[in-house]
Amino acid sequence: MKSKILSLSFFALVFTGAVFAKDIELLNVSYDPTRELYQEYNIAFAKYWKEKTKTSTAAGDNVTVKQSHGGSGKQARSVIDGLSADVVTLALAADVDALYDNAKLLPQDWQKRLPENSAPYTSTIVFLVRKGNPKGIKDWDDLIKSGVSVITPNPKTSGGARWNYLAAWGFAAKKFNGDEAKVKDFVSALYKNVPVLDSGARGSTTTFVQRGIGDVLLAWENEAFLSLKEFGADKFEIVVPSLSILAEPTVSVVDKVVKKKGTEAVAKAYLEYLYSDEGQEIAGRNFYRPRNAAIAAKYAGTFPQLELITIDQAFGGWTKAQKTHFADGGVFDQIYAK
Amino acid sequence: MTSLLRSHARSVLALAVLTTGLTVVRADQRDEELQTLRDQIRQLDQKLKVIERKQELKDEDASATAKTTPKIALTDKGFIFSSADGANAVKIRGLAQLDSRLFFGDDGGTLVNNSFVLRRARIVSEGTFAKNYSFQIVPEFGGNSVSLVDANFGVTINKAFQFKFGRQKSPVGLELLQSDSWTFFNERSLVTNLVPNRDTGILVTGDLAGGAINYAAGVFGGVADGASTTNSDFDNEKDLVARIFASPFKNSAGSLVQGLSFGVSGSLGREKTATGRTGGYKTDGQQTLFSYLSTVVADGQSWRVSPQFDYRNGSFGVIGEYVVSTVNVRPSATAAKIELQNKAWQLAAGYVLTGEDSSYAGVVPKTNFDWSAGTWGAFEVAARYATLEVDDAAFPLLASPSASAEKASTVGLGLNWYLSKAVRLTFDYYQTKFGFNSAAPIISGTQFLRQDEKAFITRFQLSF
Repeated sequence: MKSKILSLSFFALVFTGAVFAKDIELLNVSYDPTRELYQEYNIAFAKYWKEKTKTSTAAGDNVTVKQSHGGSGKQARSVIDGLSADVVTLALAADVDALYDNAKLLPQDWQKRLPENSAPYTSTIVFLVRKGNPKGIKDWDDLIKSGVSVITPNPKTSGGARWNYLAAWGFAAKKFNGDEAKVKDFVSALYKNVPVLDSGARGSTTTFVQRGIGDVLLAWENEAFLSLKEFGADKFEIVVPSLSILAEPTVSVVDKVVKKKGTEAVAKAYLEYLYSDEGQEIAGRNFYRPRNAAIAAKYAGTFPQLELITIDQAFGGWTKAQKTHFADGGVFDQIYAK
Repeated sequence: MTSLLRSHARSVLALAVLTTGLTVVRADQRDEELQTLRDQIRQLDQKLKVIERKQELKDEDASATAKTTPKIALTDKGFIFSSADGANAVKIRGLAQLDSRLFFGDDGGTLVNNSFVLRRARIVSEGTFAKNYSFQIVPEFGGNSVSLVDANFGVTINKAFQFKFGRQKSPVGLELLQSDSWTFFNERSLVTNLVPNRDTGILVTGDLAGGAINYAAGVFGGVADGASTTNSDFDNEKDLVARIFASPFKNSAGSLVQGLSFGVSGSLGREKTATGRTGGYKTDGQQTLFSYLSTVVADGQSWRVSPQFDYRNGSFGVIGEYVVSTVNVRPSATAAKIELQNKAWQLAAGYVLTGEDSSYAGVVPKTNFDWSAGTWGAFEVAARYATLEVDDAAFPLLASPSASAEKASTVGLGLNWYLSKAVRLTFDYYQTKFGFNSAAPIISGTQFLRQDEKAFITRFQLSF
């Protein structure tokens, strides 16, 4: 009799626990090349959160994270227009700033809420060329040569494209000692060699890798490595320019959405876990440069050493860079319209 | 001889050297040409790929834009403005009917006026919000004054449960439930006199068994035979209205009975009003054939039952319905109650001469009428017989035997010309025979009831 009661109590506990386990759904609105990173990370986080919320009487919460990817600027626009993103993991801070500027979806100082200016991993811009590097491309200079076809997305819609543009600008600024007219001409010449502007970085990879267009792809470092991994090192090779830019993709909870949906705690934890050892390992495995020094050291062999300028030093921060170069009528519009 | 041989040998050698040199030069030139051609092909290949990719991006962009761009459609079903996902939509439709009525044999054309009538002029506003919430507002600008025909909103739970609140058609009469635009004849039959028209209430309706069964059930304020609510309820009593209509063979493709639908509807309620139960029954020519005396009041139970069917087979269609309407009335507020049972039935059929399908929702012509293209739209012929009998007990205490007929039977013949889905011309001839108490005297203004009503009604209709 006692054993029956115990069994019943056990089943009741299990059942009650199952009943109280919550099913939570988050939407992570991200930029183009992070698909693989977050596919792996979401599984790890769901496991972590289930364990963390488990109690002696209740099973842990089930978190399902849906992903949305596209050009970073375009994605930010979608969130501003009403896409219910719990978190955004975009290519650059300016796109997250836009959520404050246009819709007050998060506080102005959102970037201070997480370590490393809310950029849990970094990357840079490198060149992906066809095997054997038939056009002999070694540095940014080579991209303005006649007959060299350059693939890069549209800076108006893609975060990666803006990093590409600024890296090229940074190189030219150094080469011409800051002579802006010459720098403009250099960047203008580069974009004259761009036959097609995709809206996002993944689209440009498709253009270069799958459609066979162009001689060189200006790519996120992680995207270049991923192309080698997926499409074969026998078809492409990475060229590391003499100078590039430290790209800091940033992440934030979208406060207005999570408060409405009641997902604030789990969304916050989702982003914080990116800084954990496991989160940093996953970033490294997916060819993003980890912030954690120990884990970065582990992946040091993967990532080439090169001179990296920063957005703050070279361009006075994203707000200024955005306004000067990418706002309507800005420098990019001027040179691309020529 | 030796020197001659030597000279020949030298010549041959020189020629060989020259030829080899030329060959090397030609090979180099060929390689160069080949390289140039290869470069040109590569460049052309790149150009082609760029063009293809740009088109691909344009298509992707168009497809993405289409997913978020609101849609506007101007069709023969109205003007439709909808969100990209179709969850929110507003539809503006219209109905205009201009009739000419010509009466024959009415004592030299003096008893009933031949006339032009703006029978209906409606702007229909309908919409859906968040996919499951809908509304409909239908004002009427035809007739003598502006009025509200329908004003309701709906909530869809699923296909089986849909609620409709407000002023709407009461689901009893088969022909009444059909749109004004698509009945076989330009005027509904005598039967419609006995069923409620628009009433205010709550209706639940839905499709069951994969659409093989349609049901409707509701609570309404209750209106008299053939009447619409005035937006006022004259008593505390309500009518329960229900209808079930089955199309059991709808999936039996090729079967003769595939287009057969049948059902039964009814209403049950109590009335206690200060006025009569009806403003009068009308002929197809819209002349009053029966009316209660002004002192009559409704008091007591009323109920209606109406078995009905609809059958379509290709170009052929036929509908039939029978209605019995029972009402309790008093000749005056203090007089004894009298129960009346009035009955009517009709059988109407149509055949589309031009081969299009006959349909409860109207004929869709294969081609529109277009003089320059030599196309004529669709033509349909129709015939109908209908009869209405008023309870003998109505006379003489409730209705004047001299001013109201006891019985009316109408034969109708019609021709419908569908110039397009939205435009229809109808030419209908109705001949109605009346039954009277032979002893009833003829009084002024009702002489027309003593002879057959012969009405030729044509209608120009725009319905979208």
